[in-house]
Amino acid sequence: MIKTMNQRIGLILFLLAAVYLILSYQLPSYPYTAVDADVIPKGLGWFLLVLSFFLYFSKAIETDAEKAKRAIPKKEVLVLASVFGMIFVYILFFELIGFVIMTAIFIFFSSWFLGYEKWKTNLAVSILFPVILYCIFVFALGIVLPKGILPI
Amino acid sequence: MDSFQGLLSGFQVALSFEGIMFVLIGVVVGTLIGMMPGLGPISAIAIMIPLTYGMNPAPALVMMAGVYYGAVFGGSTSSILLNAPGISGTVASSFDGYPMAQKGQAGKALAIAAISSFIGGTVSVLLLMLLAPALSSVAISFGPPAYFALMLMGLTAISSLSEGSTTKALISAVTGFMVVTIGIDPQTGTQRFTFGNVNLLDGFDFLIIALGLFAIAEVCMLVLNRKNRSLSDSQKLGSLKLSKADFKEMSGPVSRQSFVGFILGVLPGAGATIASFISYIFEKKLSKNPEEFGKGSIKGLAAPESSNNAATSGAFVPLLSLGIPGSGTTAVMLGAFLVLGVQPGPLLMADRPEIFWGIIASMYIGNVFLLVLNLPLIPYLAKILSIPRPLLISLVITFSLVGVYSISFNVFDLYMLLVFGIIGFLMRIYSFPAPPFILAFILGGMMEQSFRQSMTISNGNFNIFVCSPLPLTLLIIAFLSFSVPGILNWRRNRKNAKV
Amino acid sequence: MKQLGTLLFICFTAFILVACNSNNAVDSNESANNSNSEDNVNSEDGGKFEPTQSIEVVAPGGAGGGWDTTAREVVKTFGETGIIDSNMAVINKEGGGGAIAWAYIHKKDDSPYNLFVSSPPIMFVPLNGQSDYGHEDFTPLSNMIADYAAFAVNADSEYNDLNELFAAMKEDPESVTVIGASAPGSMDHIQFIRIAKAAGVDVKKVKYVSDQDGGALTSLLNGSVDVYSTGVAETVEQVRAGNIKVLGITAEERLEGDVLSDFPTAIEQGIDETFVNWRGFFGPPNMDQAAIEYYEEKFQELSDSEEFAEIRKKYGWNEMYLNHEEYTQFLDEEKEEIQTLLDEVGLGN
Repeated sequence: MIKTMNQRIGLILFLLAAVYLILSYQLPSYPYTAVDADVIPKGLGWFLLVLSFFLYFSKAIETDAEKAKRAIPKKEVLVLASVFGMIFVYILFFELIGFVIMTAIFIFFSSWFLGYEKWKTNLAVSILFPVILYCIFVFALGIVLPKGILPI
Repeated sequence: MDSFQGLLSGFQVALSFEGIMFVLIGVVVGTLIGMMPGLGPISAIAIMIPLTYGMNPAPALVMMAGVYYGAVFGGSTSSILLNAPGISGTVASSFDGYPMAQKGQAGKALAIAAISSFIGGTVSVLLLMLLAPALSSVAISFGPPAYFALMLMGLTAISSLSEGSTTKALISAVTGFMVVTIGIDPQTGTQRFTFGNVNLLDGFDFLIIALGLFAIAEVCMLVLNRKNRSLSDSQKLGSLKLSKADFKEMSGPVSRQSFVGFILGVLPGAGATIASFISYIFEKKLSKNPEEFGKGSIKGLAAPESSNNAATSGAFVPLLSLGIPGSGTTAVMLGAFLVLGVQPGPLLMADRPEIFWGIIASMYIGNVFLLVLNLPLIPYLAKILSIPRPLLISLVITFSLVGVYSISFNVFDLYMLLVFGIIGFLMRIYSFPAPPFILAFILGGMMEQSFRQSMTISNGNFNIFVCSPLPLTLLIIAFLSFSVPGILNWRRNRKNAKV
Repeated sequence: MKQLGTLLFICFTAFILVACNSNNAVDSNESANNSNSEDNVNSEDGGKFEPTQSIEVVAPGGAGGGWDTTAREVVKTFGETGIIDSNMAVINKEGGGGAIAWAYIHKKDDSPYNLFVSSPPIMFVPLNGQSDYGHEDFTPLSNMIADYAAFAVNADSEYNDLNELFAAMKEDPESVTVIGASAPGSMDHIQFIRIAKAAGVDVKKVKYVSDQDGGALTSLLNGSVDVYSTGVAETVEQVRAGNIKVLGITAEERLEGDVLSDFPTAIEQGIDETFVNWRGFFGPPNMDQAAIEYYEEKFQELSDSEEFAEIRKKYGWNEMYLNHEEYTQFLDEEKEEIQTLLDEVGLGN
C-alpha cells in the first residue's frame, strides 16, 4: 500500500495534521472576541489534512533528479548524524563550560572529523575565532556570551 | 519654500565636518555589526545608544541613522556568501545571491548587492525628501482590514515562489503558517501549542527559522558534498566587474523595487523583510525567464537588495513625520531620539528642521560612503569562501548558533535551531521548497492578527473588508494575481491541446 | 577513524563537564561557607554586606525595551556616581513576557549578585497562567520610578472626557473599540478595565483588540478604533500636534510638564481609581537581610541623586521610591486587586 515516497510523506503529514487538529480542538475558548484563537489553526489543520491526501494520491512520479537528491549513502547519513551529535553536545555544554572553550573544541573536532588534515591551522583557527568573536561581542558590543569556567 | 530652506539647513548639518565624521562612524559601525551573526539593526542601534549620551542631537541622530541603514547594508554579506542570513531583511537575498556565489561569482554577487543597495537607498532618500510630509497620511491610512488584504496579497504569491509540485509548495506554506501559531495568541492571550513550555510562549523568532531552514540545511548539503571537487568553483572569487549587460539586467528591478520597497517601508509593520520578499516575487512574475530565479539570477538578487534598503529609509517616514515607530527597529530608534531629548512627531519638521532635514540629507552621504567603503572590501569578504570546506562548515554552524543565542540568550532556542535545521534538510532532500514556508511564517502571523482585529472591530461582520476602497482594491489585486496566471496557463494548455 | 574522532570529542567534553562540575561544586561550597562565615562575622558587627564580585542585572526583555532602558540607565548611573563601586553588567533574557528571566533568577536562590528589573507584567503574566513565578517568589528591593496610563481618542472624536466615553460604553458596548499593545488580561487591557469598572461600565463587554506590531496608534489615527490605551509618554507628541485628545490619565494628581499638566486625571472626573506602571528592582527568592539593606540604601541614594533626576527627566519618568517593606506591601495589594479584576472579566486562572 505504501509504495512511493509521496505516499510515505503523505501519511506522515496526515498524522501531523491530525495531531495539530486534535490540539486545536482542545484550545480553550475566549468569550470576548469575534474570531477565537482556534479558528485559524483549525482551518490550517484541515487544509494540511486535505493536502496530505493530495500528496498521497498524487500521480506525479518522482523524477530521477529528485530520486538522486535523496539517495544518500548509509555512510554519509552516519557522518551527518555525527555532525548533529556534535552540535548537540556543543549546545548542551554551551552555557556550562562557556562559549570560548566549547566553540574551540567544536570547531577543531568537527573540522578534523570532516576531513581537514592541517591540524596546526585548524588549532589556530579554532582558538582564535572564538576568542576574537568573544572579545568583539563582550567587550566591544556589550553583549554577554556565556563565559562558563573561564575567569573573564 | 519652507522645505527647501529646511533641506538647505539639513545639508549644512550633514556636510559640516562633524556631520560627515559621524555619518562615517555610523555607517562603518552599522555595516560591521550587520555582518556579525544574528546582530541586525535593532542590536546595532541599541548598542550605540549609550555612546550618544551628551552628544549634540543632530550629529548623534545622523550617526544612529547611519548605523541603521549601514546594518541593513552589511546584512546581505552572510546571506550571499554562506546562505546564513544575519538579519531577516536579507533572507530573500540569499535565494539568488547564494547560488551565484556557488557558481563562482561571489564577487559579482556582492557587487550587485552593494550597488542595488546603494541605488535603493539613494532613490528612497530622494523620495523621503520629496514626499515625507505628504506620505505621512499614507502611513496611517492602513487599518487592520487593509493589512489583512496586503498580507493576503503577499501569500497568494506562494505558488510563484517555487517550482515543481504546487501541492508540495502549499504543504510547506501551511506548515510555516502552523509554526507561527505556536505561542501566546495576542488577541485572546490563549496559549496555543506551547505544551506549557515557557520557552514557546513567544513563539519562534524569525531568525531561528531562517537560519535553520537555510544555513543549517545548507551545511548538511555541504557535508554531503564535501569531497566533491567540482564544487570548488565556489572557491573562486570571480570577477568583480559587472558587464554592461549585467547593469542592463539590474536596472529594471532596481528602479522598480526601490519604489516598491520604499512604499512598503512607509507602512508601519511591513518593513524591510516583507518588502524584500514582495519585491522578489514581483520581479519573478514580471520576468520573461522566471525559471532563472533561485538559480543565481541577477534580477533575483538586485530586487530584494534594492528593496530592503529602500524600505529602511521608508521606515523613517512614519517615525520622523508622525512619531510612530512601525517596527521593532524604529521603536528602538525612537528610544535613541528620546534619549537625546528630541521627540519625533508631527511637529519635528517645524520645531527642529535641522534634525529632520539633517538626517535625510546625511543619508545621501551615508549611502555614498557605504558604496565606496564596501566595494573595495568585497575581495576580502569573498575570501571567506576559499576557506577549506570542513573548516567553513564548522564556522558556519558556530556563526548560526551565536546568531540565535544573541537574540534571546536562551539555549532552548539553540536546540530549536537544530530541529529546524533537520526539518530544512529533510525538506531539501524530499523536494519541498523552503521559501513558501518562510513567507507563510512572516505573513501568516500578521494576516491572522489583522483579520481577527478587523472582525472584532466590525463585531463579526465581513463587510469591513469590502466596504472601504483600500482593502477592497488590495483584495482585488490579490485575487487577480492568484487567478490570472492560472487562467493564462489554462488557456495556453488548451491552445496547445488544440494544436 | 572519523567515528573515533567523534567519540574522542564526546569523551573529552564529558570529561571537562565532570571536571568542572566538581570544580563548581567545590566553588559553591566554598562560597557558601564564605558567605556563611561572613554572615556570622557580619551579624556581629551589624550585618553589613559589601559586594565582592560583579553584579548582574537582568533585563527580562530585549535590547531597547523599557526594562532594558531602565536597567542600563540605573547601572550606568550607579557607576558614574560611584554609589556602587563593583562592576555591574546588564544581561538581556528575553522571552515569555519575562517568564524566562524569572525562571532563571529563581534558580539563583540566595545570590546577592543577581538582580532584575520588573514592572506590572510580573503580576499579569503569572495571573494569566504564563509563568510559574510571580513577584511573591522574589525579593522586592526598591521601586524606582512610576509611569501612568493614558486613554486617548482621535482629535475628531465625539468624546471629550472619560464620562462621555463611559456613558457611551454603558449604552452600547459594541460601539466602542479599545486598542492596546498587549494581549487581553495584560497591562494595556487591565489598566483600561480598572478605570472603566470604577466608572460603572460592564467590563465583560469591553471590546478590546491587541496590536503588537506597532500599529495601535496608527489604527487610532485612521479611525479604525475609538480608544487607545497606552502610557502617558506615548501620547504627548500627538496631542501637541493636535492629532489626538487624552481623555484621562490614571495618576493620583495631574503631572507636571508642558502638555502633561493639561491631562485630566480620572479622579478629578469623579472616577475614584488609579493605575501605576511602576518599575523597580528585585533579587532572587532568598536574598539575606544584609544584602536587602545594602541595596535598599544604594537604590535610595540613587533615587535621590541629581544624576538620576536628570535621567528621569530625560525619559519623562516620575519618581516613586519604595523600600523593601513598602514595596512588598504595595505589590501584594496591587496583585489582589488585579486578581479580582481578572476574575470579574473571566480571565482569571
